[in-house]
Amino acid sequence: MQRLYDSMEPRVMDEDMLKLAVGEQGPQEEAGQLARQEGILFKDVVSLRLDFQNILRIDNLWQFENLRKLQLDNNIIEKIEGLEHLVHLVWLDLSFNNIEAIEGLDTLVNLEDLSLFNNRIAKIDSLDALVKLQVLSLGNNQIGNIMNIIYLRRFKDLRSLSLSGNPIAESEDYKMFICAYLPDLVYLDFRRIDDHMKELAESKHQYSIDELKHRENLIQARLDDELAQQMELEKHKAAFVEHLNGSFLFDSMYTEDVEGNKLAYLPGVGELPLTYKDKFVIICLNIFEYGLKQQEKRKLELDTFNECIKEAIQENQEQGKHRIAKFEEKHLLSLNAIREELDLTNIEVRIVEYSEDITELFNVLMTLEMQLVEQLEETINMFERNIMDLVALFLENVQSLYPFLDDPPMAQCRDLENHHHEKLLEISINTLEKILKGELDEDLPEDVRALFVDKDTIVNAVGASHDIHLLKIDNREDELVTRTNSWCTHLVDTIHKDEIMRNRRRVKEINQYIDHIQNELDNLECGDVID
Amino acid sequence: MEVLKEKVEEEEEAEREEAAERGEKMMRPLETRREEPPMTQEMLRDLEKKLSEIEIIIPEQPLIVTKDSVDISKLPLSYRSNTLKEEHLLQVADNFARQYSHLCPDRVPLFLHPLNECQVPKFVSTTIRPTLMPYPELYNWDSCAQFVSDFLTMVPLPDPLQPPSHLYSSTTVLKQQKGNCFDFSTLLCSMLIGAGYDAYCVNGYGSQDLCQMDLTRDVCPLTMKHKEVVQEEEKVPPKKYAIKPPRDLSSRFEQEQNMKKQQEIKGEKEKQRKEEEQRLLELEKAKIDPLHGLRVHAWVLVLSGKREVPESFFIDPLTARSYSTQDDHFLGIESLWNHKNYWVNMQDCWNGCKDLVFDLGDPVRWEYLLLGTDKAQLAVAEEEEDGMNDDEDMENLGKEDEDKSFDMPPSWVEQIEISPEAFETRCPNGKKVIQYKRAKLEKWAPYLNSDGLVCRLTTYEDLECTETLEIKEWYQHREDMLELKHINKNTGLNVDYFKPGHPQALRVHSYKSMQPEMDRVMEFYETARVDGLIKREETPKTMTEYYQGRSDFLSYRHVDFGDRVKKLALNSAESNPRPMVKITERFSRNPTKPADEDVAERVFLILEERIQLRYHCRDDHITASKREFLRRTEVDSKGNKIIMTPDMCISFEVEPMEHTKKLLYQYEAMMKLKNEEKLSRHQAWESELEVLEILKLREEEEAAHALTISIYDTKRNEKSKEYREAMERVMHEEHLRQVEAQLDYLAPFLAQLPPGEKLTRWQAARVKDECLSDFKQRLIDKANLIQARFEKETQELQKKQQWYQENQVTLTPEDEDWYLSYCSQAMFRIRILEQRLNRHKELAPLKYLALEEKLHKDPRLVDFLKVFV
Repeated sequence: MQRLYDSMEPRVMDEDMLKLAVGEQGPQEEAGQLARQEGILFKDVVSLRLDFQNILRIDNLWQFENLRKLQLDNNIIEKIEGLEHLVHLVWLDLSFNNIEAIEGLDTLVNLEDLSLFNNRIAKIDSLDALVKLQVLSLGNNQIGNIMNIIYLRRFKDLRSLSLSGNPIAESEDYKMFICAYLPDLVYLDFRRIDDHMKELAESKHQYSIDELKHRENLIQARLDDELAQQMELEKHKAAFVEHLNGSFLFDSMYTEDVEGNKLAYLPGVGELPLTYKDKFVIICLNIFEYGLKQQEKRKLELDTFNECIKEAIQENQEQGKHRIAKFEEKHLLSLNAIREELDLTNIEVRIVEYSEDITELFNVLMTLEMQLVEQLEETINMFERNIMDLVALFLENVQSLYPFLDDPPMAQCRDLENHHHEKLLEISINTLEKILKGELDEDLPEDVRALFVDKDTIVNAVGASHDIHLLKIDNREDELVTRTNSWCTHLVDTIHKDEIMRNRRRVKEINQYIDHIQNELDNLECGDVID
Repeated sequence: MEVLKEKVEEEEEAEREEAAERGEKMMRPLETRREEPPMTQEMLRDLEKKLSEIEIIIPEQPLIVTKDSVDISKLPLSYRSNTLKEEHLLQVADNFARQYSHLCPDRVPLFLHPLNECQVPKFVSTTIRPTLMPYPELYNWDSCAQFVSDFLTMVPLPDPLQPPSHLYSSTTVLKQQKGNCFDFSTLLCSMLIGAGYDAYCVNGYGSQDLCQMDLTRDVCPLTMKHKEVVQEEEKVPPKKYAIKPPRDLSSRFEQEQNMKKQQEIKGEKEKQRKEEEQRLLELEKAKIDPLHGLRVHAWVLVLSGKREVPESFFIDPLTARSYSTQDDHFLGIESLWNHKNYWVNMQDCWNGCKDLVFDLGDPVRWEYLLLGTDKAQLAVAEEEEDGMNDDEDMENLGKEDEDKSFDMPPSWVEQIEISPEAFETRCPNGKKVIQYKRAKLEKWAPYLNSDGLVCRLTTYEDLECTETLEIKEWYQHREDMLELKHINKNTGLNVDYFKPGHPQALRVHSYKSMQPEMDRVMEFYETARVDGLIKREETPKTMTEYYQGRSDFLSYRHVDFGDRVKKLALNSAESNPRPMVKITERFSRNPTKPADEDVAERVFLILEERIQLRYHCRDDHITASKREFLRRTEVDSKGNKIIMTPDMCISFEVEPMEHTKKLLYQYEAMMKLKNEEKLSRHQAWESELEVLEILKLREEEEAAHALTISIYDTKRNEKSKEYREAMERVMHEEHLRQVEAQLDYLAPFLAQLPPGEKLTRWQAARVKDECLSDFKQRLIDKANLIQARFEKETQELQKKQQWYQENQVTLTPEDEDWYLSYCSQAMFRIRILEQRLNRHKELAPLKYLALEEKLHKDPRLVDFLKVFV
């Protein structure tokens, strides 16, 4: 490719170049004078043009945080890089460069217009993050596979696409194919697609597109399902009873329990694990439902609390606003009066009056705030007590430290396990006796038979299984308790912290305002003195 | 009831025998006799004699009302005579009256069968003709009553202490558009029953105001203010975490003392107010009526039950007002009737109508005339009596069915009809005036007044109606959509209300004078305006505008004007707008902008070259950012223009930000504001212009006051009328042409030929020739006829002239006049005849040729005549 600036050395983007560009493209005339006086900060720049600079590498752009439009066309850039910080970018022009692959655009989520005209790109990809993309220019590149178009189907806002000058554009079917696969497209190669063309294309590629659509729908449905499940799980987690609405806990008890699984083969055990499982699962379900109910209660409590707090703050704010509005009315009058007053003594009297007003306003606002703080504190404490009680009740009922329900669930679990253990033990010992006596008719698997060497082994094995089960139950219980407690403390902490922050902010605001008024008065005094 | 009935039966025989003797007192002894089975010639003769005696008496009762020319001859037969059934009914009624007077000798005779316009006695129930009017407006009782009271003019009763001797049919009353309270009641009752109400005509006693349709002691219903329904706010139960109110540190004792004091003051005021009211009431109280309780009145009773009427009530047909049955105006009831039956009140009316029970099925309270109508049901709980009385009732029923079952004959009155024109005109001559207490209401028919005025309510300050307080005028069908004009005489404030559709979207315009730059308020239909203006208030020095729903969120603009600069030198006709001193604009919150950048209020102090900005308040803040620009262009010591200095912009920011401190930012903001100031000034100026334009338009509209006519109003819409007439004319002409086209010239000649045979060429030629010669003959005949007439006229004229010349000396001026007029007429006739003759001469050959042409083309002859052509 013949280039105008071929003779020039490849350049790097440095401070001088950027400053020059910013200065040139910044405000002009009177505003320009001001700008030069003050200097322009890079982060205030919204639009930047760096064309025909022979730039080889994009660099040093991290300061331009608020850049909306960036033109880097007609350079010799080979790789898209250094644009990660320009998240507000809407318009990016990288045409007439030597770029070989699309990359480095993953953070530019606001990008709407992207031009990569006249580069060496062979494949359309890595554009996933650009959800708002409307205009994409990829002409004069080396895109050869027409299937690349299907990738563009994910951009719902894409309206204009240019692909002329690519190998795919030479194929006969090129236009039809694009029209069919990108039905929302309005402009192709900067020409409007007419409706007739669209219809033709649609009918031509109908079958393959229907198939494609079907596949896409399936994928979408699956994603939705997953999302819904995720949401459900989140909800359960918030109630601290996730995975308790099935046999998950029971299954986990047996996964690590080698002996238990082996013992299941014993004669006479038969139905035992099954009935055990059923009972266990029912208890789990009870816990689960109870947990959800409690969660609802907690949520309701929290909502009412938030609402009340909000109302209180709102009302207080209204009062404050009212006070300030009243003051400002007076303030304007008195300022004018002071300005127009000629008699020096009168001025002084008025100024004194005015500063008294200011102090009064300050006092009033502060009183209001203090009042609110007190009121809120009381309410927050009340809420804290209530939520603590709720959590405690929930935990108690689940843990069964106190027999609130007829048969507290977690303890029930343990009882069930103990009961099961005893039975298993009994059967094992019986079997052992039978084996020792040689009365056992059935064949046992080799590894199971190995357990029945003597009484200790078998008791140990059964005991180990029992321990593992108990451990699992304990773990689940501990998890529930700790998470619930931590949630509670965290909630209370945040509420307190928020309140403190609010108070600080308000006090700061009041102080700032009073300072401002005072300043204005002081300025006036100074002026008077000078006059 | 039973008692009376037994007595009736006992006495009936005796009375019948006495009937002949008593006949004189009755109106129709002949008919009574006719039904008596033994009837001898002597008796008849006897009767006839008596009849003739009576007949003389009737014309001896001259009636003021009947004197109004009612053309009896045109009325249908049912008006002029009684049917057999009616006769029978009258007999029964008389019988009833006799028994009644026998049983209650101290009560006045019943109002049973007054004479109608043809001097024929008619029973009152048959005068009611239930009719459902074809106008949907007349479906409810209130509009019905309003119509009756508007449509008829009230004529007082000839004798206020007695029911009238005549009761006209509703059709006659409607034609005359006037009547007394009985006519009003009958018409209203007919309409209400037709509309499905359970309505009755009531004959009773009313107060003086009621009987004389005197509303001067009543407050006009239009002036009454609607009571505002105070909606009690639902008290929300305090929420669980609602904050406690701050402790109240004020002294309770002081509060109590204060309360006491206030209550005392309030009590004092209340007392004063009451005294004042008392005084006013006494002032307003009418003089005591010496005839109180004796004045006869008729009104309408509507019983609850039908048409979802929840409670029985009275309607005074003269004023169309409804009263509760306990109202003070109604002092007693003699009797009431509907189209089916007649009831006499047996209850004591010492306390007006307050204690009356309107359970018409109760025979102790209400004595009925006819049995067997569906209303005769006692509303007592029936279960108790059912078992006991069943058999008896059955027997009674059987008996009654045999001898007494007699239902009301159908009404003798023709179908009541109101033409659409009459319905629209409503009041007689389209105008009605009602005098209320401190108010006068005038009503007009639509389109009667050229400015569309339909109703005017004048309110007065005093009872004598001399000091006008305010005037309200309602308009209809105005092209400028003016609906109501409200003039307050005290404050001089005029308020015009408009319906949607005014060219400037005007809704309300209140003003004191039509001069510009005065106090005025204009409200607009903001959805009809592009700029979303709701209201514009003006005082001599300010103009305030309120907006809604604008894309730039402007909600308020206030402009202060300074004094006009006097231009002495330039005395041009150009407008000299007042200089603007200050423009204040307020904006509502733009949710897409952060609060710190969203301007809430900006003030352009134009003279001081200052711009003040106040931003919106953030959600969780109580202070808002402010900024003030001083727009002074100054020159520094070196003579350079200072573009921007930090002291030109004073700002207070809630949360200081770095970029806003920069001069560049401030400079840009100021430049933008400068532009916007220009725009605002321009808009304010445009608003001023618009006010002028609206005022001009209003004046023009007032002067023109054109009325709109609905395209569906076929009578008034000139255009459609013209169009329709044109259409009719075209149709008529079309019809004539068709008739002419169908005229067969050949028919008489073809008829001479033997039928069914085909024409030969010779025959065809002959038919044609005959036809033509015949036509020629006719043309000549016609010419001769005209000629003959012409000659005759000329001869006559000549004769007259001769006669005139001979007798010229002896003629009286009248004769001479007569002769001259004859001459001119004769000359005219002669000239016309001459013209006709000339015209005929011109047209005759053409006509002849046209016929020949036509004959050539006639399908029956064409085959044969072709050859000759």
